[in-house]
Amino acid sequence: MTNRPQADVLRGSLDLLVLKTLSLVPMHGYGISHRIQQMSKGILEVNQGSLYPALQRLEKDGLIDSDWEMTENNRRARYYRLTAKGRRALGTELESWKRFATGLDAVLSTT
Amino acid sequence: MSWFSGARTRLQLLFGRRAAESRIDEEVRFHLEMETNRLLREEHLSLDEAQRRARATFGGVQQHRETLRDGRGTAWFNGMSLDLKLGFRMLSKYPGLTVVGGLAMALGIWFGAVIFQMYGILSSTKLPLPEGDRIAKVMYYDMKLQSEEHRLLYDYQQYRGLRSIVDLGAYRDASVNIVGADGNAQPAVAAEITSAAFRIAPARPLHGRAFVAADERPGAAPVVVLGYELWRERFAGDPLVVGRSIRVGAGFATVVGVMPEGYAFPMAHEAWLPLRTDVPGVQPRGGFPITVFGRLAPEATFESAQAEVRSVVRRIGIEHPETHAQLQAYVAPYTQMSANPSSGMAMAVLTWIFCAALVAVVCGTVALLLFARAASRETEIIVRSALGASRGRIVGQLFAEALVLAGVSAVVGLATAQLALSRLGKPYLEMNYGRLPFWYDFDLSPVTIVSALMLAVFGAVIAGVLPARKITRGLGTRLRAASAGGGSVSFGGVWTGVIVMQIALTVAFPAVVMLVRSEIKRYEAYDYGFRAQDYLGVTVAIDGPPQETTDSTMKAAQLARYSSSIEALRRRLEGEPEIAGATIVDRLPRDYHISRQVQLVSVPNASWTRVSTASIHPSYFDVLDAPVRSGRAFNSSDAASGARVVIVDQGFVDLVMGGRNPVGHRVRISATSQVDSNPSDLPWHEIVGVVKELGIASYQRRTRAAGLYFPLVPGSRDDLSLMVRGRIDPLNVVPRIRELATAVDPSLRIEQMTRLDRVVDDKLWFYGLWLRVTMSLTGVALLLSLSGIYSVLSYTVARRTREIGVRVALGASARLVITSIFRRPLTQVVLGVIGGSMLIALGALALQRTTEFSSLGRSGLTLSEIAGLIAYAILMVGVCMLACVVPTMRALRVQPTEALRAE
Repeated sequence: MTNRPQADVLRGSLDLLVLKTLSLVPMHGYGISHRIQQMSKGILEVNQGSLYPALQRLEKDGLIDSDWEMTENNRRARYYRLTAKGRRALGTELESWKRFATGLDAVLSTT
Repeated sequence: MSWFSGARTRLQLLFGRRAAESRIDEEVRFHLEMETNRLLREEHLSLDEAQRRARATFGGVQQHRETLRDGRGTAWFNGMSLDLKLGFRMLSKYPGLTVVGGLAMALGIWFGAVIFQMYGILSSTKLPLPEGDRIAKVMYYDMKLQSEEHRLLYDYQQYRGLRSIVDLGAYRDASVNIVGADGNAQPAVAAEITSAAFRIAPARPLHGRAFVAADERPGAAPVVVLGYELWRERFAGDPLVVGRSIRVGAGFATVVGVMPEGYAFPMAHEAWLPLRTDVPGVQPRGGFPITVFGRLAPEATFESAQAEVRSVVRRIGIEHPETHAQLQAYVAPYTQMSANPSSGMAMAVLTWIFCAALVAVVCGTVALLLFARAASRETEIIVRSALGASRGRIVGQLFAEALVLAGVSAVVGLATAQLALSRLGKPYLEMNYGRLPFWYDFDLSPVTIVSALMLAVFGAVIAGVLPARKITRGLGTRLRAASAGGGSVSFGGVWTGVIVMQIALTVAFPAVVMLVRSEIKRYEAYDYGFRAQDYLGVTVAIDGPPQETTDSTMKAAQLARYSSSIEALRRRLEGEPEIAGATIVDRLPRDYHISRQVQLVSVPNASWTRVSTASIHPSYFDVLDAPVRSGRAFNSSDAASGARVVIVDQGFVDLVMGGRNPVGHRVRISATSQVDSNPSDLPWHEIVGVVKELGIASYQRRTRAAGLYFPLVPGSRDDLSLMVRGRIDPLNVVPRIRELATAVDPSLRIEQMTRLDRVVDDKLWFYGLWLRVTMSLTGVALLLSLSGIYSVLSYTVARRTREIGVRVALGASARLVITSIFRRPLTQVVLGVIGGSMLIALGALALQRTTEFSSLGRSGLTLSEIAGLIAYAILMVGVCMLACVVPTMRALRVQPTEALRAE
């Protein structure tokens, strides 16, 4: 059970992962899912069916912005980037996630 | 700017439907291609396998699309937009219904918009001035007498220490003659006002200055500030007029400033004179009437200001209970016209209820038409239901169709309302009330537009949802029993009631039209007894001493001056080559005359008869070219007060004297239109002459009047008119009359000059307007009734196709079939006609009770008019039956085989 990829990223954590990924470099949807998988060393696998609605939601909320750009292979793709509001939201989300993880860890490590 | 890009994305997602769809497609395609390439590259799969795996990992593409669409929040929007599109298609598919239903709804919305706008204008608390909503007016109301009290001068003098109102000021209307650059005196709408006005309504004067406090002090040099329009028209826009002394009313004043264009504070004024409020010796509820205004101090509210003013009034009331005990003070927004303490909110609610009720009645009929249409689409509705559409979805669709119709009607209604307000409403108010307050705005306000749109939605709910709910009731049962071509929906009693009511109104409305029309015709055919178009009626007033004067000798002196000036003007006019004659009268022919009761003294126990009276100058009959038929005319000695002689007209001879010669007879004349309590105390007058009838009956009178003329006693009245007979079109002598009036006495104020044949044109305009409105209403009611009958019959025939076919197959005669079809509409028409006739009868009875028609002693309609109405009712039955022709012909053409095959 431990090594199986986490196919369904925990609900609520996907937005955080997307924001974090985009804080490094602007990226297209496929790139984002690939990068999350890479960074989590294959532990987290983003469900494609959730990724695009999440991107749409974040864009509607003004946390990310998007535009058509050309890829290295000269292919047109929709690139997403973090907005200033998104950057602020990422900070807040990270803080609250860390608190949550610490709390969770404290509960689980209690013997 | 992230909020901006977020908002932009939302809008793009919501409205850029095509762009959003193609974006989803392209992103999905790109994703699948990238994954396929990775699989080809890293796992060395065949292209087909790589594509299959990529798609499988991605999941259902269509499902993702739907999720994204839902994320756009447009799912409902797509459904609604489809319904609306269908609604527009329905407009062109059923043009008859579109025109009739749309017209009816537009009329309802038009009416609502006009009422809302007028209500908004009259109840608006917004002034187009800085802090306009904090400008207040102090008003007093006498709770015992139930009337407003404007004599506030004493109280105003006690307001000095008020803390919740600043820039306290006062004004009063003072219409005066101003002599312009051309030397002619013309009346101006002026206000005597304190200098605070120019702080409340600040504006940089175009030239010179506004008032300062020093202008109001006793002994200050008289000054005047001119309005822009008056300055342009009367002083040719000459900036050098500032500093010049001009004639204003009975005196002179120096022009100190000219206000910019559009400046009309306090109401609709065009000239300003200083108002002196520190008049010594003013008694409580004494002095001249004023209007008090001011601005709420910062932190103060209308309530706190009112409480403070009331405390002042209470304080005065302790010292002067006889005048102030029953006075209640109000501090209200400046635009509030009345101190009458009625609730504005209640009025607004009532206005809304009235408009909504009107729209409900109109849309009830449109609902009938839409019901008939929906019923004819019953099969379609059942099929949709069978395919899974919920009842709510179907009701939503029919509502959307009605909403489209209501939307189009709202646009038409609002556009015509704007037109009516600017073309008719404004002239009507100006005609009745003169210049209008500067804050009246006849352009439809956002509140009116929103209210009208809400009415449209309300109308759509009635016209769309009600029939939809009825048609979709028991859909499941009908679905099981459904059979092509036959429906099971039937018109209920409510619809029948609606049709009957409409026919009744259609029958009754023309009676009103006829009444108004016959009145207008009568007014137009008025017989003056002389060539009215050769005469000009000139109403003359005079500027007098300040209104605070209570000195009776000064007032008498003013009357004497008026009398001598108007006589001097008359003489000067008679000397003009273009003028054939000029005379003086208290009431112009065709206008209202004073009514009195007369009794013949020489005939024992003679009854009292109402007569119309006029006071005339001895030259009157000469100028009117109406020689005395018997007896003599007035001479100058008759005008001496105390001479008790009168002249009567032919109407008097016929109606009072029974055709006998009245000369030498004596009459008692009541002081008012009622018989005095002690008639024997009344002095008698001797009839000295008889003339023909010369327009002494009011233009509204339906029967002949008995006329009686008094000699005009000089110095007895200050409300006279000159009648000037021109040798040319009298309108061409208007400028000369003004010149002469100014030359004779610059304080003579020429208030109105009208050619005599147009004396009541303004009233005729109003009747004409009523006629047009009533005719349009009748037209719409007629159209609606006919459409209602037509649609109900069409539907009935369509529904009974099979039955008719079978009857014809079994040998039923055409007459029998027609009778069975006609029975119901015929009953409706007959009931409607009876209802309409009853409405007419009730109206006629009500008319009989009004003063105007009471003298007739019978119904308000003549016999020929009643005959006309009966003919119209018969015509109505005929026309309604005509509406049945097409469906009936259709029914008779039904072949038995077709009817059965339809099953």
